[in-house]
Amino acid sequence: MSETPPLRPIRPARHARFLDDGQLANLRAAAFEILEEVGVHCPSKSVRALYAEHGARVDEAREVVRLPADLVVRAMGRAPRGYVMGARDPAFDLVLDGTALYVATDGCGTQVLEAGGGRRPSTAADVATAARLADALPAVGFYWPMLSAQDHPLTAPLHELLASYPNTVKHVQTETVMGARPARYAVEMARVLAGDDATLRARPPLSALICTIAPLAQDDAGMEGALVLAEAGIPVGFMSMATAGSTGPATIPGTVAAGDAEIVAALTLVQLVHPGAPVFYSLMPGMMEPRSGAYLATPWENEIAYVVGVELAHAWGVPTLAGVYGTDARTPGWQAAAEAAVALTLCALAGAETGSGMGLLESCTLFTPEQLVLDADLHERVRCTLAAFDTSREALALDVIRAVGPKGHFLYERHTRDELRRRRFSPLTGQVASDGSPIDPLDAARAAAARILAEHRPEPLDDARARELARIVAAADREAGAVAAGAGR
Amino acid sequence: MMPGPGGAGGAPGAGAPTAGAPSVTPPLEPIRSHRRLRFLDDEQLDRLQDATLRILEEVGVRFPSEAALEILAGHGASVDRATHVVRFPRHLVRRALSAAPRTFTMAARDPRLDLHLEEGVSYFTTDGCGVATIDFDTREERLSRKSDVAEMARIADYLSSIGFMWPTVSAQDHGATSQLHEIDAAVNNTVKHFQAMVMGAEPARRAIEMATVLAGSREALRERPVLSNLICSIAPLSHDRDGIEAALAFAEAGIPVGLLAMPTLGTTAPATSAGALVVGDAEVISGIVLLQLAFPGAPVFHSIMKAWADPRSGNYVGYSIDSRARYAPVEIAHRWGLPSLGACFGTDSPAAGTWQAGAEVALDPLLGGLAGPEIVTGMGLARTYTLLYPEAIILDDDLYQRARHALMAEEISDETLALDVIADVGPGGHFLAETHTRTHMRTSLKRGLTHEPAPGGGYRDPVEVARERVAWIRANHHPQPLEPAKAAELTRILASADRESGAPA
Repeated sequence: MSETPPLRPIRPARHARFLDDGQLANLRAAAFEILEEVGVHCPSKSVRALYAEHGARVDEAREVVRLPADLVVRAMGRAPRGYVMGARDPAFDLVLDGTALYVATDGCGTQVLEAGGGRRPSTAADVATAARLADALPAVGFYWPMLSAQDHPLTAPLHELLASYPNTVKHVQTETVMGARPARYAVEMARVLAGDDATLRARPPLSALICTIAPLAQDDAGMEGALVLAEAGIPVGFMSMATAGSTGPATIPGTVAAGDAEIVAALTLVQLVHPGAPVFYSLMPGMMEPRSGAYLATPWENEIAYVVGVELAHAWGVPTLAGVYGTDARTPGWQAAAEAAVALTLCALAGAETGSGMGLLESCTLFTPEQLVLDADLHERVRCTLAAFDTSREALALDVIRAVGPKGHFLYERHTRDELRRRRFSPLTGQVASDGSPIDPLDAARAAAARILAEHRPEPLDDARARELARIVAAADREAGAVAAGAGR
Repeated sequence: MMPGPGGAGGAPGAGAPTAGAPSVTPPLEPIRSHRRLRFLDDEQLDRLQDATLRILEEVGVRFPSEAALEILAGHGASVDRATHVVRFPRHLVRRALSAAPRTFTMAARDPRLDLHLEEGVSYFTTDGCGVATIDFDTREERLSRKSDVAEMARIADYLSSIGFMWPTVSAQDHGATSQLHEIDAAVNNTVKHFQAMVMGAEPARRAIEMATVLAGSREALRERPVLSNLICSIAPLSHDRDGIEAALAFAEAGIPVGLLAMPTLGTTAPATSAGALVVGDAEVISGIVLLQLAFPGAPVFHSIMKAWADPRSGNYVGYSIDSRARYAPVEIAHRWGLPSLGACFGTDSPAAGTWQAGAEVALDPLLGGLAGPEIVTGMGLARTYTLLYPEAIILDDDLYQRARHALMAEEISDETLALDVIADVGPGGHFLAETHTRTHMRTSLKRGLTHEPAPGGGYRDPVEVARERVAWIRANHHPQPLEPAKAAELTRILASADRESGAPA
């Protein structure tokens, strides 16, 4: 068994605002107007009934729900501004209090890039491998199952959780559990991990991210699952990926306003039905590639949209999952580094509590272990860059400067020896082989990933809980199989 | 954004020549940040400033120049003639710095590209001064030469991200007068401001002569200096005789002079960032005090670029993983009331276009822009400021534009919020057929290097795209040439300098 190194979240010494109060007020006014006058499409009859019960205006024929501003304000006022996301090991609990940014892995990829350059579809075993790698990296604050458990097509989301928990002691956030039935199984798994209901509510070891559908629409399975999770006290977040030009207006503020309304409509429902339930907000707008219609996450002018999402979340009084990392690159290299750093830094400066995701290529679809190690190195760069600067007497070293004097050198000084040991250098860059030749950082990252995967064995889940999780997923498999067979007849 | 050979068709951009006419140099696009981020608080800045003043007062700085010692002694500094160490009373430092201008103009050959230094606007330069070049045509590594400076000047002239130019590499084919040949190569190939790195009183005199030819007269040069010059100090706490005497000559002529300290943690500076910064600050401030005592009001700027010694090899490391306070020197300069030359780019990666070359520098223009230096170096070199890769400046330009857009003020208006369009489309619709989409989509997606469509779908390798852009600029961009009479006069000055120094012509 190996020890999981302590987390190193980004704790910026300074925070910055990128929108002024007037701009935020304009965006919020736009969201209120959209929610009240345009509304959101809600295909679930049971969810529409809940909206109606709590005072929303429901157009049953068109399945559209409109939300008066006072209802939204009242509901959002019940959402907690911060809370704890628990981990299997309490030392890895995430305290969402605005002082630290915890970053998760990316998800949910579908392909694994193999050493020879070949690709294959991902399986539950890959989810387990990636969890073990993530467990060993202090930059990874919590784990998104990085890949789809495609060897379990009917119950992949639950198999992703089953593969994750034994392989990391960190918090796990599912981004694939959808629908009331899978959500109930997921809650059961979380309860087994927590031990009891009180702990499940105080330190939920699971959280969930649900996507809305742009423009201004909800998925019935997503919303019904969200309500099940929220009832159990499991933090639920909603993400809009509105795309400027196709599923959003071709201007960033317009796309942001529409995406904001989508998220707030969903958060409002959760707070109306389960007041005070822990929720989070995630706005990851993209831009349409005009020639193909594809979603682009990282054009130059889109980086600011992620920060706007962070500031809007805070304006609504809820924590955020920020869009950081994410690259359209197909291989590790210049582009993957160039695209990741700016949004991560801006969102950390804006005070984002959580973000995702490290380690995938090709727009969140392709996994290769070294990319996670490379992204962790970038995280460390940003963490150090934004950390507090030391101007203590020891750091100023005036006595040493006086002793050395003009045109001397500092190599012999004890202060130099002591401090150089504390300086942090990247384990990936500036590395030299035994023959003196430089080691390519990509090779260093590959070697680091291979070493971790060969050696790192996180604290195992105890047998009783492991058996119980397997039993729950087996039951889900049986039920899903029966449902599928029924549907097939 | 970078105009030019964007798109699959390689359509020419703003710099494209018409038959026989010189190309148009695109307008500058400096980083204008509507937000400022302070990395240090007032108390920390005061502590740093106090430490610098204590070093200047108690430890002193070495000035191995009789001319400098004479000036400093004449103004009340404590001069030790045997060691050349000068100690500065606080009141002398304060008095001298109060004469330094907070902003000034760095003029260009084309007055439309003059840099009027101001708070909140950051102009970037090429990097410098490398010693090796990946040949533009053969792609083999070789020693740098004058023609490389000329090539880079043309590329820099084309890029809207480049506000002014440094000698990107050394004109090593011109020996002792290489610094003057770098000026010649640059001013013949860009209409932008040039910042030289001339050392020594005599070369400085020649450089001033060249700048006078460009400006038209000594008075015009003082009014609109088309040249500025950067001088390095020697850490710890020492100046170079040639450097400081060149600085005095330039300051006398009204040419802006920057003092740059490059303290290295663990060898030439304490192994703590704060200690390295105050050593560097003391070097820079002592040089600026000298210039202000000699020529009150002379335009000067402040720069500290700290680095690390690799404890295993002593190698110079420009990018530690802990780069905190990389932009503290900007705040230190502003606290003194001086404009700042900030430090961006210049990866330690041995090659351009690698993961390391992206990871190390990607944050630079963003954090630099937030810190707000008036001028910033520098794009286009790899291997810790020593190796010119032709495509490196294009890759760095892409990161620059990413940061520039991230720091732009977001326009939130009725038109950009598009509430009417959202209402028309309604839940579950799409925006493809809207006039608003057609109108804004034309300008909303600015394609960087990473989003050049590949013929079979997907996107092209950005490094390959960067190489093509360099080739396109070299083939197509020919800035307004220098007037023949001025060019001939520069050649005459160079020939004379070459003869005097015995350097190859």
